[in-house]
Amino acid sequence: MNVKFNNRDPVYVQVIRHFKEQIAKGVLEPGQEIPSRRELANQLKINPNTAQRAYKEMEEQGLIYTEGNLPSKITKDELVLKGVRKELIMEAVETFIYSVQSIQVPLEEVLDLVTEKYQKSQEEGNV
Amino acid sequence: MIEVKDVYKKFGRKPVLKGVSFTAEKGKITALIGINGVGKTTIMNAIMALTPINKGEILINGEKLHKGSFEKITFIPDAITMLPSMKIKDAMQFMDDFYDSWNQERANELLSFFRLKESDKIADLSKGNTAKVNLLLGLALDVDFLLMDEPFSGIDIFSREQIAEVFTSHLIEDRGVIITTHEINDIEHLLDKVVLLDNGVVLKEFNTEEMREKEGKSVIDVMREVYRS
Repeated sequence: MNVKFNNRDPVYVQVIRHFKEQIAKGVLEPGQEIPSRRELANQLKINPNTAQRAYKEMEEQGLIYTEGNLPSKITKDELVLKGVRKELIMEAVETFIYSVQSIQVPLEEVLDLVTEKYQKSQEEGNV
Repeated sequence: MIEVKDVYKKFGRKPVLKGVSFTAEKGKITALIGINGVGKTTIMNAIMALTPINKGEILINGEKLHKGSFEKITFIPDAITMLPSMKIKDAMQFMDDFYDSWNQERANELLSFFRLKESDKIADLSKGNTAKVNLLLGLALDVDFLLMDEPFSGIDIFSREQIAEVFTSHLIEDRGVIITTHEINDIEHLLDKVVLLDNGVVLKEFNTEEMREKEGKSVIDVMREVYRS
């Protein structure tokens, strides 16, 4: 696991985002065990308290669950999993819209370009 | 918790600490940051009662400093205090002889964590490895608080990384750590709390995650604001 953190967003928020991305991509599967808070802190080179905070928040959001003393696992709840994917897509779209609007490009002009570029970069294996 | 309350210290006529107050909690990593010569090391020495203070008080877990306090805290200076002719093994034995709180099991774990050989002589070690031995000797003590003076300065990047890893590992457990540093590149995400010092006073004390969350500022952003204004 390797994450490039920025310095301005809370680290725990960035950790949660990282997990969401891994879930959406299917790298983390429903029911899969996740590292302990210490292991996570060590892997990501972050403060263990921050790892703890991220897990607590993810537990509250239903992204992970813990049974007794066993390691925490990724949720199997379909609704939550779909929600994660949707959330990430919406975020990406919003960012895109924001940057396009800020240079005042009409939607029609940009949509064809998006399709074209997207296909090209998939052919080149960049995605 | 370590509480430093309104501490004053003069060397001769020169005031070095001019009413310094801050707290450092157990289970958290607190960094004392400041350009050199602002009194960081003096604060550590004051907490260890290595230098008498002129005014103010220092409390450990709510109690004034007394003999027993030093079974709860240890100070790791910025340079190793063992003789160069000693082997790592001898230095560990020395600590074991002197401190009841020496934990051999943790010391062995740290040896393998840092990939050090106990038969190596201190004089023959690289700068980075010397720094690791220095840290090992302090970290292996069973104390509640660890004070580290510039644990990251003057060593190569890979040693820095390895030392940073200690802070995220179980080897720290839930102990409280205070480090002094003048450089926070690549350790920013390890810190719970930051105390910015200048010229013998605390300019700002804050929790790093709270600062990112509420104001969207990195530690360096805050430093820039505080030191450049």
